[in-house]
Amino acid sequence: MKTFNLPDLGEGLQEAEIVSWHVKEGDTVKVDQPLLSVETAKAVVDVPSPYAGKIAKLHGKNGDIIPTHSALVDFDIDGGGAAAPAAAKKEEAAAQKAAPDAKKGTPIAEDSGTVVGNVPTSNAVVAETAIIRKKQKQEPQRVKALPSVRILAKQMGVDLSGIPPTGKNDTVTAEDVRNATQGGGRGASTPSAPQARWDVPAKRADVKYGVAEPLRGPRRAMHASMTKSRSEVAECTLFDDADIHNWMPGQDITVRIVRAIVAGCRAEPELNAWYDGEKLERTIHERVDLAMAVDTPDGLIVPILRKVETKNAQQIRDDLNRIKEATRNRSVAPADMKDPTITLSNFGMMAGRYATPVVVPPQVAILGTGGLRYDVVPVMGGIEVHKRVPLSITFDHRCITGGTACRWLAAVIKDLEKAQ
Amino acid sequence: MAKVTMVEAITMAMAHEMEKDPSVVVLGEDVGLNGGVFRATQGLQQRFGKDRVMDTPLAEALIAGISIGMATQGMKPIAEIQFSGFIYPAVDQMINHAGRLRTRTRGRLHVPMVLRAPSGGGIHAPEHHSESNEAMFAHMPGIRTVMPSSPSRAYGLLLAAIRDPDPVVFLEPTRLYRLNKAEVEDDGKALPLDTCFVLREGEDVTLVSWGAMVHETLQAAAKLGEEGISCDVIDLATVAPIDFDTILESVEKTGRLVIVHEAPRNCGVGAEIAATVAEKAIYSLKAPIGRVTGYDIPMPLFKLEHDYMPSVDRVLKGIRKVLEA
Repeated sequence: MKTFNLPDLGEGLQEAEIVSWHVKEGDTVKVDQPLLSVETAKAVVDVPSPYAGKIAKLHGKNGDIIPTHSALVDFDIDGGGAAAPAAAKKEEAAAQKAAPDAKKGTPIAEDSGTVVGNVPTSNAVVAETAIIRKKQKQEPQRVKALPSVRILAKQMGVDLSGIPPTGKNDTVTAEDVRNATQGGGRGASTPSAPQARWDVPAKRADVKYGVAEPLRGPRRAMHASMTKSRSEVAECTLFDDADIHNWMPGQDITVRIVRAIVAGCRAEPELNAWYDGEKLERTIHERVDLAMAVDTPDGLIVPILRKVETKNAQQIRDDLNRIKEATRNRSVAPADMKDPTITLSNFGMMAGRYATPVVVPPQVAILGTGGLRYDVVPVMGGIEVHKRVPLSITFDHRCITGGTACRWLAAVIKDLEKAQ
Repeated sequence: MAKVTMVEAITMAMAHEMEKDPSVVVLGEDVGLNGGVFRATQGLQQRFGKDRVMDTPLAEALIAGISIGMATQGMKPIAEIQFSGFIYPAVDQMINHAGRLRTRTRGRLHVPMVLRAPSGGGIHAPEHHSESNEAMFAHMPGIRTVMPSSPSRAYGLLLAAIRDPDPVVFLEPTRLYRLNKAEVEDDGKALPLDTCFVLREGEDVTLVSWGAMVHETLQAAAKLGEEGISCDVIDLATVAPIDFDTILESVEKTGRLVIVHEAPRNCGVGAEIAATVAEKAIYSLKAPIGRVTGYDIPMPLFKLEHDYMPSVDRVLKGIRKVLEA
């Protein structure tokens, strides 16, 4: 049994308060293992164990004030006497480690770490990174300007990064800053006007970036129908424009396109049909059940205008409004999306002139209409500017010849170009 | 890998090199039997014998002088100066011989020696043992001056210093000797001299420090990091010659520079860094260069030494001034 007394923790301090024990009775400890933290008037310090062995008894608990040199820990030392001399030396060392005070006149023990002052000691292990930077070429141009020029720019409210530098070594000069505020300034000495501010739009808050998301609802359906189309249909797309320069005022463009499709299907009903590639059968329809591709935040939704060949302009407009509304609030019934005979994709409101829309089997044709635009057109040896509708018709070439498609498109254009 | 304090890392480096290279010897006051007053040479005499680990008389001019002599004749002496206040008698030998034998003899002789000495305050030692005198050595041509700031850099840079063919003054921040531990592998790998170490990467301001002050500087950088201000923290490590490439590249990135050192401001190493940055990177500067340093007074008696040495608060104040300019 060995008793370890609280060492003098320096500067002649009489006592120390136990902050916390790091060991408990019965623990086996190694030499230098921290036994406890004590707080003196100076600091909180860890007291290391002078012995290896088993802890028999702790004298004191957290918060107790222990007088210097009174019992702190009793140890059961393995091997008894044999370990004792080394341990005694260690005890002295441990005491001196915490109390390297030369002024007391006590002889300095071997491990005090210094003969003057008090070298701060801790067993805390620190990790750090220390990078040796590769010497590299200066990365893309940062603004170079004298501090005085920077202050001038700050005072004048000028963004230095937008000013082309004319000074030596590509520095922005005070002159450059003054010129920038005067909108270009002195001609020849300023190669170009200050660049406009470069505004990059903020990223969209409603998008989850960098995460794989499963496709849902209409997008899943789109995957299935588009894949089927690409694997089955022999698609061919034809482009042309309808010149609507002669339109009477008040024409409803969408309604006119619907009517033109009906006209096309009257001329060449083969495009208003279903085709079964396995059975090599096609069914030509008299009714025109026109699917309207509508873009929504949830994906592509394709409600149907039924029997458009039987309807007048007002009825078609009413139907359009109704499906627009239903699409917006996602109340289109599955039955209203079933069995169309031909499809219209009117994408031109946003951007785009022509496209190669994709036919959804068993249908055999889809018309895409781009944005109305003014084109320069030759008219009787001269030049005029006419409003035109770009048209793109994709058809299934397995069952429709190019000639049929051309005649269908010609009929559509002919109807669209009518004054009313 | 061993978890060692800085002073243990220093012992480890010397032992490694003595084991490998029989021309490496250690000499100084109490370095043998006693193991050095800070225990940097503990166990070396028992391990390598009295011929290689020599206790000398209390005579610093002699310690430096015989080291220079041995070095010119093929030995690699590591001389220890016991306390920084005792180093001045050795300066004569260092400036008049160590630093110029290579040029004086037009390359016939050179002086591969290391002069190790404790440096800086913070341990309540007598005031003349607490000075930071690195600028004095930095001003001596022909001599390298190195100050480590961590156990791993102490190990790697001391190995490099011993292997260097020219004299190196190796100043060891006493306050860091046992301040903490780090995992250091005794693999004999030297770190490059004349090279800065980037301890923290940032965009807003460059902080350059060395020796013990690296710790206050890192704490200040961490504090600013919490506020969203990112600091490029550079440990100079080799005080002379300075790796200006790293500093200039960083300043060109951040546009702001604060230098932190414990030594007095007047003609401190910070002045040299500030001057060179002003010469070479003024077009990148967005604010005046800041310095946070000790005061231009003798190191005070130890009761006041913590008022003398830059605190984390003083460093923060210095950085904020530069950020707000």
